[in-house]
Amino acid sequence: MIQVTNLHKRFGAVTAVEDVSFRAEDGVVTGLLGPNGAGKTTTLRMLYTLIRPDKGSAKVDGLEVAERPLEVRRAIGVLPDARGLYPRLTAREHIHYAGELHGLSGAALDRRIGELVELLDMKEIADRRTEGFSQGERMKVALARALVHAPRNVLLDEPTNGLDVMSTRAVRTLIRRLREQGHCVVFSSHVMQEVAALCDRIVVVARGRVVADGTPDELRARTGKDNLEEAFVTVIGSDQGLMQ
Amino acid sequence: MKALLSAVFRKEMRDHLRDRRSVTSVLGGSLLGPVIFAVMFTVVASWNRQDKPLELPVVGRAHAPSLMAFLERSGVRLSEAPPDYESRIQAGTLDAVLIIPENYGKEFAAGRSATVQLVMDNSRNKARFTIRRAQLLLNHYAGLLGTQRLMARGVAPELAAPVRVEEVDLATPERLAASLLNMIPLFLVISCFMGGLNVAIDTMAGERERGSLEPLLLNPVQRGTLVVGKWLATTVFSCTMVVVVAVAFVLVAKRVPLQDLGVKVSLDAVTAVGMMGAVLPLALLASAMQMLVATFARSFKEAQTYLQLLMMLPMIPGMALALSPIQSQMWMYAVPVLGQELLVSELMRGEPLGVAPFVLSTVGCVVLAAVCLAAISRLLSDEKIVFGRS
Repeated sequence: MIQVTNLHKRFGAVTAVEDVSFRAEDGVVTGLLGPNGAGKTTTLRMLYTLIRPDKGSAKVDGLEVAERPLEVRRAIGVLPDARGLYPRLTAREHIHYAGELHGLSGAALDRRIGELVELLDMKEIADRRTEGFSQGERMKVALARALVHAPRNVLLDEPTNGLDVMSTRAVRTLIRRLREQGHCVVFSSHVMQEVAALCDRIVVVARGRVVADGTPDELRARTGKDNLEEAFVTVIGSDQGLMQ
Repeated sequence: MKALLSAVFRKEMRDHLRDRRSVTSVLGGSLLGPVIFAVMFTVVASWNRQDKPLELPVVGRAHAPSLMAFLERSGVRLSEAPPDYESRIQAGTLDAVLIIPENYGKEFAAGRSATVQLVMDNSRNKARFTIRRAQLLLNHYAGLLGTQRLMARGVAPELAAPVRVEEVDLATPERLAASLLNMIPLFLVISCFMGGLNVAIDTMAGERERGSLEPLLLNPVQRGTLVVGKWLATTVFSCTMVVVVAVAFVLVAKRVPLQDLGVKVSLDAVTAVGMMGAVLPLALLASAMQMLVATFARSFKEAQTYLQLLMMLPMIPGMALALSPIQSQMWMYAVPVLGQELLVSELMRGEPLGVAPFVLSTVGCVVLAAVCLAAISRLLSDEKIVFGRS
C-alpha cells in the first residue's frame, strides 16, 4: 500500500513536482498518467527513495520513505527510468546479483530465479550474456531483477516504452498477474491506451500536480465525455504529449 | 553486511575478468616496463664494455711515430683511416678518427704546441666512451712530454701544474646502480595507477552511463557497502599489476648484464617482497582516487581524460628524484607516491630500512583511501551525481 501526500520537489529554479497526493491500494493497478515532463518520474523516484522530497510525505506500507529508505527498498520492486544491464553478465546472473543484494542466497534464490524465468518466459535467454539483447529481452531481465525478492509493492516507470506488440502484451500479462496475487502496482505512462487497458485507478498528473484521480468510469462521468481520450484532454487542458 | 560486500565484490570481479580490456591492460601493460628496462640495459652495457681494446683509425700515422708507439704501448689498435671517415662518423659506423697534420713533426721539433685533431660526433652516446678514452690517452701523452721538456730545462713540473684535480668517486656501485635504476620505482608506482584504471572507470562512470546505477542503488544496501565492494575489486586488478611488474623486474634483472656496467644492485626475491610491501598500499589509494574521479565525471570518456591526467601525478616526484636526489626524511614516507618511490629506491640500494617507513607509507595511503571512499559514498547520495548533470 502506497500513500503519497502533498509531495513537492524542485531542482534549482525548476519545480518538478508541485503538489502530488494519491493512494495506491493492494490488489489494485494504479496508473500515473501525464504528458512528458509532468513529474511522474520524479514522483516515482521520491517513492523509491533515490530523491528526497522537499516537502510532503510518501509512505510504503506505512514506512516513511525519507526516514527508512532501506526498509522501503525491501518492500518495493522497481523498474526505474534507467534500466541498464551489464553486457558481460548473463540474464540469470543479473537476477542472481539482485537477489543476493536483497539478502537471498542458496537454493531459495535458485528456486526464485527459476520461477521468474518461467513467469517471464525467458528460458532461452537466461544463460546468454545480455550484450545484444533486444528491447523486449532487456525489459524482461530488468523486470525479473526488480521482482526477485517478491515485493508487495511494484513500481514501474513507463514499463512498455519502446517495446513491440508481443513484449507489451507480456508486460501487461505480468501486471495483471501481480494484481491477482494482491500486489500493489503503480505504473507511469504517457500513453493513454496503455493506462486505459490496465488500470483500475487513474491518477492524472500535469505540471507537477494531480489534476484528476479516479476509476476510468469516474473520470468519464466527471468530464462528461464518453471517450477516455477526450476526458484526459479535458482534465489536462491540452492534448500535448498524450499522443503515441 | 559481509555477505552483501562479498556479493558486490564477486559480481565486479566476474564482470571485469570477462572484460578483455581490463585484463589485457593489466597483463600487457605490466610487461612494458620490464621489457624497456631489459632492452635499455642490454644496449647501454654493450656500449660500455670495458674489456674491448680501443680501436682508433689514424690519418697520417707516419708523421708522428713516437705518438703512435705510445698509443700502441697503451693497448690501442691503430689502423689506417678510410678516406670517407667524416661521413662514417656522422653515420655512426666510426667512433673517432685521429688526424696527424703534415707539419706535426716540424712544430714538435721546434718546441711549439703541435696540433693533432680528434674528429668525432659528440652527439652520439655510443661513441662517447671511445672518445673519452682517446682524449685521456692523448692528454696523458701531452702531459708526459710537457713534464719531460720542463725537466730538460731544469724546471720543476709542479710549477706548470698549480692545481691538480683528483677525482674521488663516492658513489658505491650500489648507489650508482640505483641512480640508473630509478625507472623501477617509477614503473611500480605507475602500475598502481594503471592496473585498476579501466575497472575504476567502468564501475563508476560506466555504471551510470549504461543506466545500471539507478537499479543498483535501489537494492537495500548501504552506499558504503557498494563502494567498498567495487573498490576491493579495483584494488585486486591494480595490486595484481604491481605484483606482476615487481616479479618481472626481478626476473629481467637476473638476465640483464648489470655487471658489465660496473654496477651491483640488490634485486632478489627479498627485495621484490619489500618492493611490493612498499607499493601495494599505494594501489589501495590509487584505486580509491580513480573511483572518486570517475564518480564525478559525466561520462566514461570524461573519466578517461581526467584519469590520464591523474597518471601524471606519480611522474612528478619520480622526475624530481631522478634529477636531484634528496636526503629522505621521515615525514616524506607518509606522502603517497613520494614515500613509495623513496622506499623502493632505498630498497634497491640495499640500505637497511626499519619498519617505521613502511608503516608510515601504509598509514598515509590507507587514511587517504578511506577519505576518498567516504567521499564517493556521499556522492552516491547526491541526486545530481546519480541522475546526471546537464
